[in-house]
Order: sequence, then structure tokens, then C-alpha cells
Amino acid sequence: MLKILLEKELRDIIYSTKFAITFAAAAVLVLLSFYVGIRNYQESIHEYENAKTTNAANIAAQTDWRQIQDRVFRKPQPLEILVNGVTNDVGRTTDMKSSGELNLINSRFSADPLFAVFRFLDLNFVFVIVFSLFAILFGYDAINGEKEAGTLKLVFSNRVSRASFILSKLLGSVLALGVPLLVPLLIGCLMLLGFGIPMSGLEWVRLGMVIVAGLLCFGVFLTLSIMISAMVARSSVSFLLSLVVWIFSVLIIPKGSVLLASQIASVPSIDAVETQKRKFSADQRQKWLEVTQQWFSSRMKSSASFSDSGFVNSMAAFQDSMQKVSEDARAEFYSRLDEDWRNKKDWQERWAFGISRVSPTAIFQIAAMNIAGTDVGMKFRYMQQLSRYREAFAETMRKKTGSSADYFRIVIRRFSGGQNDQEEKQKQLNPSEIPEFVEQPRGLGDTIAASLFDMGLLVILNAVFFGGAFAAFLKFDLR
Amino acid sequence: MDQPNILEAQKLTKVYEDGLCALDHVSFSVKAGEIFCLLGDNGAGKTTTINLFLGFLNPTEGIPFINGIDVTKDPLAAKQHVAYLSDVVMLYPNFTARQNLDFFARLGGKNNLKREDYYNVLRQVGLQEKAFEQRLKGFSKGMRQKVGLAITIVKEAPAIILDEPTSGLDPKAANEFLAILHKLRAQGRAILISTHDIFRAKEISDTVGIMSEGKLLAVKTKAELEHENLEKLYLDYIQGKVAA
Repeated sequence: MLKILLEKELRDIIYSTKFAITFAAAAVLVLLSFYVGIRNYQESIHEYENAKTTNAANIAAQTDWRQIQDRVFRKPQPLEILVNGVTNDVGRTTDMKSSGELNLINSRFSADPLFAVFRFLDLNFVFVIVFSLFAILFGYDAINGEKEAGTLKLVFSNRVSRASFILSKLLGSVLALGVPLLVPLLIGCLMLLGFGIPMSGLEWVRLGMVIVAGLLCFGVFLTLSIMISAMVARSSVSFLLSLVVWIFSVLIIPKGSVLLASQIASVPSIDAVETQKRKFSADQRQKWLEVTQQWFSSRMKSSASFSDSGFVNSMAAFQDSMQKVSEDARAEFYSRLDEDWRNKKDWQERWAFGISRVSPTAIFQIAAMNIAGTDVGMKFRYMQQLSRYREAFAETMRKKTGSSADYFRIVIRRFSGGQNDQEEKQKQLNPSEIPEFVEQPRGLGDTIAASLFDMGLLVILNAVFFGGAFAAFLKFDLR
Repeated sequence: MDQPNILEAQKLTKVYEDGLCALDHVSFSVKAGEIFCLLGDNGAGKTTTINLFLGFLNPTEGIPFINGIDVTKDPLAAKQHVAYLSDVVMLYPNFTARQNLDFFARLGGKNNLKREDYYNVLRQVGLQEKAFEQRLKGFSKGMRQKVGLAITIVKEAPAIILDEPTSGLDPKAANEFLAILHKLRAQGRAILISTHDIFRAKEISDTVGIMSEGKLLAVKTKAELEHENLEKLYLDYIQGKVAA
């Protein structure tokens, strides 16, 4: 009996005009999201390569390692094109230096604010807005619609159990809608191959996980709307209820959770933190000037000559020690400030994510961003890797310049005529001597660990609404 | 030889949770080859009686039997022996007439029917050939009713229950419909019809049961009604001028 009902359910959905229209719209949007993502990726990679080449040329044009201004560029990752997350809000460029604070600047949205207003069309958007809405459109009248059409009584005038009927509804809807939606997703995957997007094995697995999470989110809305349909007698009422749930889930809860979290756990603004840092740096610099002035005064009194090699060496040693002291103090102050801010921010984020998890679409978004590596921790993880890389960079610079100081430094150079100038010109720098920064993506284990909770929540919600629909239909008035 | 009871209501009573008594000790039976009309106004209890036979409601008291099976004890087994058609026959608009018939035939346990078998049944109910493979979206109520009747025929159940089957049909379609019912009666089916159409009831039925406010006030055979004005009798009964 279940087979007959299931077949009917599949046919009823697939033969409908509603299905044809929604499937066509979903297919177009999915393929468009892949295409837009691929084009963006190609453009970003092009910009990235150009920026790297320009940076290398700038370094190569220098003759003194102390004068270089190296920059590190964040390489676009293939999965970022499908689940944007915060990637376009995070800066793409860092001025690399041996010491001091590293900053990520020049985000995509800061360079092109128009996209910040309308955002990109990515797979995340398609799952959150489009697929969830389609699920509701198909589920809202699954049960009470049959009652209104008189087919429910006709079906149950036969030897049909309620359990097999509701099972066929749930399984039929999931199969009839879920499987066809996989088709454009698979075509999208083929587009990635066709356009030569360099997807590693791990990235394919992660993309698969995003799609599974998206289908689970779709399943939540489908089972939820079928449950509502089994709880309410009229399809017009169940449509309204489902729509209200959708609006809250997609639009109100995620935004509301952030507002609520900011009220529960307040965090000083990044500007306030920066102001504190600037004030500390200014104080440090003032101290440095005073001490340097005193040092010069005492040396001048001892009538040392600038050309005296002992003086030069002594000055270098003095500056290095000053540099170290101020750098240590600054690092400690910044680190304390950053850690304090980070802890408060973490707490606030926990609240925001915790509250937002009332919404299935928010759960999916959190899971998808964690899988794609475009979650709110993206910048932090990148900066950690950059800090580790800086050690290698600083070591290279130490070897090249003989000093770790890279800011506010007095350099005494001897000029000895045209021949030496030509020699200097010949000693142009080789940028390849600077170690290259390569961002390491999250491993599979970390990806699974980061998304497991939310994937589990989506599975639980599917089971809860499936069970809810089942239970509601057992009490449903068939008349 | 006396025909067996196919449908039988034994003191059927239904009292809802709010205290409303929708059906009060209603008893009647429908034999094979008999058409029994339940005649009454809206709210008389006709549809409640049908819902009790189909297991959509549980009786507060009494037992509905289909082909000797207690519906309250084994509703699924009882439903194997009954075909039902409601007044709202929308069916599945995305399916063709044949596909609708196929689905309900398989639900009724007819798994081996071929396309031509379905066409024969659709011809039997008078549906135009060109409509056999057309989706029901564009069908008139009369056409949908014919498909609905085909669904009840194809099940080949000994009992047929029809809830207001001719409501909304034009006179020609209604006549065609009733002609088919005559054929089904001739085949030995027990047919229970609920209606508020006095003239149709008199025209088609072998027995008429007059219902009002949940009570079966009278049961009259065709022979008893031959020289009676059913309309007057009905009004007298429901106005209490004649003792039940």
C-alpha cells in the first residue's frame, strides 16, 4: 500500500505545474549561483595574482632590505564562491612587518560597496531563501489540501492506514522535491570542473557536506509545513502559518539574535580598541624619542663622531634594545587588549548563535559557513596563520638587515662616490628570498567537528517535525 | 430467496464531546441489489451515518457492519467491501481520468487491470473517449462525478455508499448517473445514498429512510411509497405531525 501511495505522491508532485515552475526557477538560480561564483573566483584569482606580481616587482625594485614594504594577499578559496559567509567582509591584504600589529585591509565590500548592499547570489542564499520557500509551497497543503479536495475521504474509504498515508506524504515529498533539486546542483559541480576551478578532494567533500546540510534544511521546512498542514483544517490558514514561520526563521530570528546578543553581552567597538592602541603607541613613541634624545645628548657630550664605527655600532645596539623593550611592551598591551576583546566577542557570538539556532535557516548558515571555512572565525584563523608566518618572515629580515627593528629607525649610511652607487644598483633584491605565505585550509576532521553540532541539529529537527507530522495526522479529522 | 444484509446499522449513536447528539439509535440495513436512500435536511445525520460506516468516526453506541464485518473492530477489513463516493469529487487534477482510476483501483486491491479495462469502465459511466487521457483540471463537475463513479465501480465492492451524488449535476448528467446506479443494483450491489432530493430519492430507491435531527423517523419501501406523496410524508415526519 505504501508503494502505491508513494508512487501517487511522486507523480502528483512531478506532474504539477507548480513543480515545473519551481524546479525551473530553482535550477536557474542554482546554476546562476555557481556561474556567478565561478566568475567571481576567476576575477578574484586574477586580482590576487596581479597583486602578488606587483608586490614582487616592488620588492625587486628595491636595493635595501630595510626599505621593502612586503604585502601578503589572502588567496581566494574555491568554496568561498559558493558559501560567501564573511569572506567579502574580511580584508584581503596585509602589510607584512617583522613586528607590530598585523592588519587585514581592503575587503571586497570596502572596494565595491554596491555588493555589500545587495550581496552576492551564492548557494547559501539559494538554500536559505529559495529552497526553504519552495519546501513550504509544496508542504503547506499536503494534508488539509487533500481534505478540501475530497480525495482524503476517498483514499481512506479504502484499506489504507494513516501511518502508510503520512509516510508516503513525507517520503514522497522529500524524494519528489529533493532528488530533482540535486540535478542542478550536480550540473553546478560539473561547471566547477568545466571552468577549471581547482577543487581539491577535501573541497569536494566539503561541498558535498554543504549540499547535504542544505537538503537537511530543505527537509526541515518540508516536514514542518506538512506538520502544520496536518494540524490545521484549512490550507489557507496553514499557508499563512508556514509563511510566518518562514519569515521569522529567515529574516527575523537571525537579525534579532544579533541584536539580543549585543544587549546581553556588550563588546567595546573595534574603534574604541584601536583608539586605546593608538594612544599606547603614541605614548611609547614619545618615550622612545625622549630616551633617544637623552642618549644622543650624552654621546654628543662625549664628543663622539658620527663616522666613528664604534658610535654606529653602539647606536644600532641601543636602537635594537629600545626596539625590543618597546615592542615587548606593545605586544603585551595589544595582546591583552585583543584577548579581552576577543573573549567578549566570543561570548557575544555564542549568545547570538545560540539564540539564532531557533531558526533552521540560521543553523544551516552556521553549518555551511563552518564547512566552507567562511565563518566568523575565518579572520581569526587566518591571522593566526599569518602570525606564525611572520616568524619566518622576521627571521629572513633579521638575516638580511642584521636587525629585527622595522619601524622608526635612524640609519646612517656612507656615500663614497659613483662607482659604489652602481654597485648598489646591481644589488637589486630577489623577492623569492622572502618565504611565501601559504594558507592552510581546515582539515576534514576540523571541518566535521566544526559543523557536527549544527548538522546534528538539522537531523534532529527533521526527525522532530517528521514525528510531529506523523503524530498530528494520527489525530487528524478525515471527514 | 432473501438477499443478505450487506450494510447494516445497529442502533448507531454518535454524541460529540460538546454534547451534541448527531445520531440517535439509528438502525437499518441494505441488502444486496437494493438502493437505500437516507433522506433528510442538512444536519439530519446522513453524513454522520456514512462516516460511521467508513470508520471516519467511532460510534458512541451501536455497531456499523459492512458485509458482516464490524467496522469498529476491523475498519480496514470492512473497507475492502465498500466503495465510496462523496459529493465533492475533485480527485487529483494533475492526473488523467485513467490515472485517477488506476490509483484508486490499486488502492482497492485491483492490481492487475490493464489500460483497456479502465477504458471500459470509463465508457460504462458515459465519459467521452477523448477525456480518458486528459487531466482532470479542465473537467466539469459532471465529468468528475463520472470518473468518481467509475472509481466506485472498478473496486467491485458489494457495498456502495454515495454521499449526495447528484448535487450540483445538471438534469441530464443526473439522469445518466442514476441509470448507472440501476445497472449496479442489477449486478447485486447494495447501495446506500444520502440525499435531500425527495424526487430523486423516490425515483431511484427501493427503500427510503427519513431522517431528522439524528433520528431515523421512518423507513418506507418502494411499494409503500407507490401511492404516497413522499414530499408531504417527509414534511409531516420532520414537523412531527406523524409519530415516528
